[in-house]
Amino acid sequence: MNQNVILQIAGLYKRFGDFTALHSIDLKVHDGEFLAIVGPSGSGKTTLIRLFVGMDEPTDGTIWLRGQRIDTVPANQRPTCMVFQSLALFPHMTVGQNIEFPLKIRGMKPAERTARALELLDLLRLPRSYHGKRIHQCSGGERQRVALARALAFDPEILFFDEPLSALDYRLRKTLEKELKDLHARTGKTFVYITHSLEEAMAMSDRIAIMRAGKFEQIAPADDIYNRPVSRFVAEFMGEVNLFPLTVEESGAASAGSFTLPPRATARFGLVAGDPATLMVRPEYIGFVGAGTETEPDLSVRGRVLNEFNLGSRFQYEIEAEDGQRLTVETQRDERFGGAIGDTVTLGWAIDHCHVIRGE
Amino acid sequence: MNPTRLTRAGLLAYGILTLAFLYLPLVAVGFASVSKSRYLSFPIRRYDTGWYAEALASDTVRDLLLISLKVAGIVTVVSMVVGFFGALAFARYHWRFRGLFQKLILLPIFFPQTVLGLALLMWFNAVDIVPSWHTAVVAHLVWISPIATLIIAIRAYSFDPTLEEAARDMGCSTLQILREITIPLLMPGVVSAGLFAFLLSWGNFPLSLFTTGADSTLPEWLYAKMVSGYSPLVPTVGILTVAGSAALLAVALIAPSIVRMWRRTPQA
Repeated sequence: MNQNVILQIAGLYKRFGDFTALHSIDLKVHDGEFLAIVGPSGSGKTTLIRLFVGMDEPTDGTIWLRGQRIDTVPANQRPTCMVFQSLALFPHMTVGQNIEFPLKIRGMKPAERTARALELLDLLRLPRSYHGKRIHQCSGGERQRVALARALAFDPEILFFDEPLSALDYRLRKTLEKELKDLHARTGKTFVYITHSLEEAMAMSDRIAIMRAGKFEQIAPADDIYNRPVSRFVAEFMGEVNLFPLTVEESGAASAGSFTLPPRATARFGLVAGDPATLMVRPEYIGFVGAGTETEPDLSVRGRVLNEFNLGSRFQYEIEAEDGQRLTVETQRDERFGGAIGDTVTLGWAIDHCHVIRGE
Repeated sequence: MNPTRLTRAGLLAYGILTLAFLYLPLVAVGFASVSKSRYLSFPIRRYDTGWYAEALASDTVRDLLLISLKVAGIVTVVSMVVGFFGALAFARYHWRFRGLFQKLILLPIFFPQTVLGLALLMWFNAVDIVPSWHTAVVAHLVWISPIATLIIAIRAYSFDPTLEEAARDMGCSTLQILREITIPLLMPGVVSAGLFAFLLSWGNFPLSLFTTGADSTLPEWLYAKMVSGYSPLVPTVGILTVAGSAALLAVALIAPSIVRMWRRTPQA
């Protein structure tokens, strides 16, 4: 991917009265990338996007777009465009008038802008006959596409999205996620997408920025965020996870309660005695160790099966270890646990699948 | 549970009686206006439409119509404009004194109109303004523009502010947002406010009585003639007044479908 920086922010602060929404944050967005900004509600992600498009002014800090300062430029003069959570389609206009709106404001001739609107309807796989339809005659998914077409008609340097899929049902959301990713590939535009849904971010984006209380906790490709989170917050935010607080002893071994990490493992993670750290293992990396298992797993835990959950393509188990610690295990459907709830089992996994989070 | 036939018949009768109670008096005025007799008495012995011819030919009636029309017309236009911006302040924007503004705007409606009329007359005298239909316009506006504001505010409350933000994001100036988004979206409210403003001004008596000075509006003249100098010209002019309101309402009812038909015709 092209690594040119298209958007950069430095030391961005935003205060509302006594409340600090953004604490001096920095970010670089690469040209043509799909960046997802993920965080729980109140983490400051909507505030940030409003600063990007100019609907609010930063208390302090700078925003550059292709090297030009834009934080002092009014919203209507910035070459950026946003797809709103509510979509903000104009109810008194037809689909065509909505799509043509930014072109009309720019002073394009009616015939030209109609031609462009029809091209965009094609791009978004909406029938050309929709040009004359009223907004209220469109379904939820069609409205999403109209809002996208309108934003693309504006032809922005960067397209911002403020959780536009959050109000849709699961199936439609999945379909539109694919379409959006596809659209990103076809248009080559830079997309910055805000969401509180990990799934949405993982499915679509090249990189994910995790926000927490007005700061970025981690900015990395989706795989890194998932496998190598920098904090418990990120680990827990990004799906189901098993976390074991570690106590590193002088001998080099580390106790994790129900099992012990051998010195070769602590050495590999670079842990020394007294380091506060947490061991992370995703549920899908843990397996049941049975008679048929050929090799001894690196780490193992004995426990009792508390519950089984059918997730469709996978099964999830809740296991209570001998010291009372709870573990979550996921298996593929065909590797489903054969025994009954209440059975005592041995769980095993590889050190390669462990990740250590440093700090408290 | 489905209503029985008896319940339905009862409801129908109730509806008809209510309508009769509301509209029969008007029918009585209609009958009075076509009576040949100079005096108001029922049943009417001889019918005559001569009073309509006389009313339409009369300079007095024409002047009355003209003054009432001028007052109601100006009040309508000004109320729509004032109400539009008032409604934005009332419902759309959050500002420091909004709560106070929302209460103050209701005050003129709570005053009895006669008191309001008297107060305005005294005020005009105090600042040496000779009352005429011009001052009546001001008096009507004091009472009617808050009502127009409230009617448009109902529409403004359901207005999604992100629509304006989206328009700005796509390059609109403040003036363009007003023209392309805010005005078209509030237009249905502005039109109903205009209708109300016209009808309230057209039929207003207490405020006009105090503030028109030497001029006279239709309702004032009707009252004056009732008190002294009754002739069937009074119900005739009354019916003409009602006809004016009715015509306006009819236009308001038909206009939307005409606009829709016009929109549906493909424009090259």
